[in-house]
Amino acid sequence: MRTLTLTFGLLAVSVAANPAFGQAGTETEIITATLNVAPLAKLNLSALSLAFPDSNPDLAPLVPAAGGPLVVTARTRVTPGTPVTLTVQALDDLRSGTEVIPASAVRWTATGEGFADGTLSAAAAQTVATWPASGAYAGRLAFVFENSWTWPTGSYSLTMVFTLTAL
Amino acid sequence: MSSGTALRHGWCVRLTLPGLATWALLCGSAAAQRVNLQVRPNSITFPTADPDLAPVVQAQPLIIRYQVRNNDTGAWRLTVLAAGDLIAGASAIDIANVNWTASPTPPFQAGTLSRTVAQTVAAGFGNVPRPGAGTLTFQLSNLWTYAVGVYTQSIVFTLSAP
Repeated sequence: MRTLTLTFGLLAVSVAANPAFGQAGTETEIITATLNVAPLAKLNLSALSLAFPDSNPDLAPLVPAAGGPLVVTARTRVTPGTPVTLTVQALDDLRSGTEVIPASAVRWTATGEGFADGTLSAAAAQTVATWPASGAYAGRLAFVFENSWTWPTGSYSLTMVFTLTAL
Repeated sequence: MSSGTALRHGWCVRLTLPGLATWALLCGSAAAQRVNLQVRPNSITFPTADPDLAPVVQAQPLIIRYQVRNNDTGAWRLTVLAAGDLIAGASAIDIANVNWTASPTPPFQAGTLSRTVAQTVAAGFGNVPRPGAGTLTFQLSNLWTYAVGVYTQSIVFTLSAP
């Protein structure tokens, strides 16, 4: 009879840690979002005409326009660093037939962010407001007429043009 | 769809005899979790529009297909995270101006994009053995204060279980 003897020493048993065990399933997808903001400018005036009532110059040396201040709303989208300007210019002086009153007899005081006071001119555009960037802006222009005893009688009118510029 | 795989409840035992090289390595594992995710298209565009006429603009809808397997009763979650604000050179539009609507609800839900915290788009428990599908539409608040430019940003969707 033959005998087979097996001898074992101390066994070392270890459990290997698999870093992959216990991780959750995860998957990602990436998309790209794009927005094109184009230049845009819009100007709104609360009225398209102003009227200055006839008044005694001693009692009303400055005559406010009837109906209250003109409300101006400007909305623009501009390139960064581009200033936005609102100007006004009279196409001519106040005229009644052959009689003339200078357009500079019309002045305004302004309220609202970026708005400034000024005097109307037929010779050059006058700054009404400036803004540094894109946005929606609103202000009020209270027009007054300089009432003088030297003005000849008549029914005077002029046209003034507001221009919103973003360059 | 691309897929991700994970092992769970795995184990290995190594048997070593003194003086001998390792001669046995026994391993086993439970069934692996699997998640699949597809978002199409992979680019969207918000249309340019007059803010007075369109105070909110929508991009084209995204179709999201997803699948979760071998998840037992575990939770699964689909999140979205923007890589930053909408950027055009030095100009930025806060990504929080972008929100979304989604369907079907549940498991999908509406939300607002963030560049710091992943937001939940959809969530559930267990498996989605057949690919589920949902629609997600991003909307942007169209403000006059945005500077002119072409803005872009990456948006990352992540499906995870558990």
